[in-house]
Amino acid sequence: MRGAVLPISMVPGNSVVHKIAPLPKLLWAVGVLIISFSTRNPAILGAMIVLGLFLASISNIWSSFLKVMGILFPIMVIAIFLQSIAPAFPQPWTPIAQLGPFTIYQEGIYSGLTLFERTFSMTIFAMVFIMTTHPSDLFVSLEKIGMPYVINFILTVTLQLIPILQREFATVLSAQKSRGMKGTGFGAVLPSMVPVFVGAIERVQQMSISLESRAFGSTGKKTSYRNVVMGVKDYVIMVVGLLASAVTLYWIIVDKSLDWSRTMHFSPTLSVILVITAALIFVTFIVISVSKIIKT
Amino acid sequence: MMNTKEPIIEFRDVTFYYPISETPALQNINLKIYEGEYVAILGLNGAGKTTLQLCLNGVIPNMIMGELTGDVFIKGLNTRDYPTRELAKIVGMVFDNPEFQLTQTSVAEEVALGLENLGTSPHDMEEIIGEVLQTVGLSGLKDRSPFELSGGQQQRLAIASALAMHPEIFVMDEPTSNVDPVGKEEIIAVAAKLNQEKHMTVILAEHEVEVVAQYADHVIVIDKGKIILDGTPQQVFNQIDVLAKCGLRTPQVTEFFNQINQSKKLGIKELPIKIDEAESLMLNQFEKK
Amino acid sequence: MEEVLITCDNLSHVYSGGVVAVKEVNLKIKRGELIGVIGQNGSGKTTLVKHFNGLLKPTYGKVIIKGEETTNKRVQELSRSVGYVFQNPNHQLFAKTVTAELEFGPRNLGLSEEEVHERVEKAIEFFNLDTYRNQHPYRISFPLRKLVGMASIYTMRPDVFILDEPTTGQDNITTRIVYQLIRRLRDEGSTVICVAHDMILLAEVVERMIVMRDSVLIADTDPKTVFSDRKLMSSTHLYPPQITELSHRLKDKNFINTYALSIDEMQKVTDQQLQVKRSK
Repeated sequence: MRGAVLPISMVPGNSVVHKIAPLPKLLWAVGVLIISFSTRNPAILGAMIVLGLFLASISNIWSSFLKVMGILFPIMVIAIFLQSIAPAFPQPWTPIAQLGPFTIYQEGIYSGLTLFERTFSMTIFAMVFIMTTHPSDLFVSLEKIGMPYVINFILTVTLQLIPILQREFATVLSAQKSRGMKGTGFGAVLPSMVPVFVGAIERVQQMSISLESRAFGSTGKKTSYRNVVMGVKDYVIMVVGLLASAVTLYWIIVDKSLDWSRTMHFSPTLSVILVITAALIFVTFIVISVSKIIKT
Repeated sequence: MMNTKEPIIEFRDVTFYYPISETPALQNINLKIYEGEYVAILGLNGAGKTTLQLCLNGVIPNMIMGELTGDVFIKGLNTRDYPTRELAKIVGMVFDNPEFQLTQTSVAEEVALGLENLGTSPHDMEEIIGEVLQTVGLSGLKDRSPFELSGGQQQRLAIASALAMHPEIFVMDEPTSNVDPVGKEEIIAVAAKLNQEKHMTVILAEHEVEVVAQYADHVIVIDKGKIILDGTPQQVFNQIDVLAKCGLRTPQVTEFFNQINQSKKLGIKELPIKIDEAESLMLNQFEKK
Repeated sequence: MEEVLITCDNLSHVYSGGVVAVKEVNLKIKRGELIGVIGQNGSGKTTLVKHFNGLLKPTYGKVIIKGEETTNKRVQELSRSVGYVFQNPNHQLFAKTVTAELEFGPRNLGLSEEEVHERVEKAIEFFNLDTYRNQHPYRISFPLRKLVGMASIYTMRPDVFILDEPTTGQDNITTRIVYQLIRRLRDEGSTVICVAHDMILLAEVVERMIVMRDSVLIADTDPKTVFSDRKLMSSTHLYPPQITELSHRLKDKNFINTYALSIDEMQKVTDQQLQVKRSK
């Protein structure tokens, strides 16, 4: 039943990246996000991808990272296929090859490639961030910069509840299958969802009484068990991140020659190969996933 | 129970109706519990055990809607006048589902929850956490996720978390019902420790009468919201017919001795409630044919 | 000679990650047996039992249900022969009324409306749920919900019932009711397999005990043999009912020479082997 679960969570470890405080890492991830959305330049996006992969490799998170990428990569790759035949780009389009009934456009390849790079770079940085940061440390850091305690708490509990509810859902599915329920279709929705909902409600009810019985909600100063101390190194990294983002952003806005959409040319053969490969990867992924789901 | 002191817990004529309910969940409860007692509450599902316990830290009437008449006093304080989070410093509570009580990403953080809310300094927190984890036997597991623990361990964690606030009264609502036998033993042992070593007043709602007979010194039987019996285990468990009418059973040795006391006309006035007593009594009363 | 319904042939189950949950288990379960499967959490008892309705498939070895291997069968198919009542009824209940809940299983089996109706009526009668027919399953008490959970599998008329902790969280009255129901199910011809920690259930109701420890089947015999073996019991952290423990102590002292699994048995032993002391 693990097909439904994306193993995105912290991977315990002692790498250099793990040791950096949450806020600098969050800042870098947000910086990458902003830059990815501001440009379509394949080189800049490519550079961020390389940087991201480098960080992933020094964090010792490869196996979990690859597991998640194994699921997300094929989905991102389809962008190339779709874009190449229907570019999200102002007309006119330049056709460069024919693939059966589909015409592949120059702008489409450019668009698809850059869209793929964009999502890929954001995803890499998001993964590196999530997998090297303890959620509690993150929340404590956010609290320090002003996030309310209650929101912090709600986020922590929600984070805990996601895998729990997934597990509950799997149990409910087993129980209902044991009563002959077919796995798909409308008839399966209520029997699978109602018990999970009710379970969640009962849980929250008892939880709130349990919390109140431990003085939750007291007015007055609250302290924190977990402490995140930002060292000089962390501040430096934060500042570097801010500067790098600011400079790159400025450069993107100012330098028009970064728009390579008209100047970059792709050979027809390369384009066709690219599109076919992308489509194949995606289709293989769908076939494997569906067969896994049917088996259970 | 000869006490000239004031009771640490007192119910005076307490009646409680849940909203939209026509039958009272508690009816005319009058009860006195003294410091250091180990009190067991027996009763069928729905008899009122949980309702009674929720009155002890103010959840009723402060958190749960309903009509409460009469008064509940904890250490002389009327529970109507204090929010639960205040009473939490005197009364610690754990519930029947171990996992539902846990919210944090590590054992230590779970224990620290109450302390964070009380504004305890991180240094003191560290000390208290260590002490409390030792009491419940979870010392090596500080950084473990609560959701990776066994049921028994989770329940002990919930106990530790409540214990961190150093309450004087500890209430447990069927803490062993969703736990395997090993976990059950662990939890019962911790409860006994709290009472015997830490001198806490322990209030335990429990179905396993053999456990109750072994550890409690004060037993209360509730049926349909009313207190039917209130006394020592010896007194309560000897009332076999009254208990049977409520649908409750007595320890097996008591039931057995009740039968042979009548069939063999042994004339025993006080039936044994523990296995050691039963063994001695057998050897005393019988010989091999 | 009763028909063999379930066979485990050198069954092993390894979870992804390498954890061996069940190791080389061999057993046969016949029609009409009343079995208790016991062991600590982590002993493999639940993993074992989940193979009986196909929730889990063997990693090595075979599981054969009514003559067919389970490997390529879906849970939904096997649910016709083996019903699994989950420990927490809340994991099953979703309908608006108890009746609707009971109709779910037989409808999934593709039965006619008449057949469904007949089975639901029979279940309501068997489990004494008449007063609750139109109640919302979540509005009735937890012990009753557990009965509704059992009833909703009963309507599927499987040959085998698997009950996961049928008496956990129950009070004395409902527990006694469940014991009776289990016996009646067997009397109707069903095979009942209980995964349980309830010592009294195991001592007084079941007729065969399968004991799991550390993924291995360490005993498969009648309750008396199991409860007499103190070493076996303590190795799995299981303790006999109080009255059995009393009989152990008295037997150790050579006061009596048999074990008693229930109060009635203890009474019999006393009648047969002991007499009231004349000088007291």
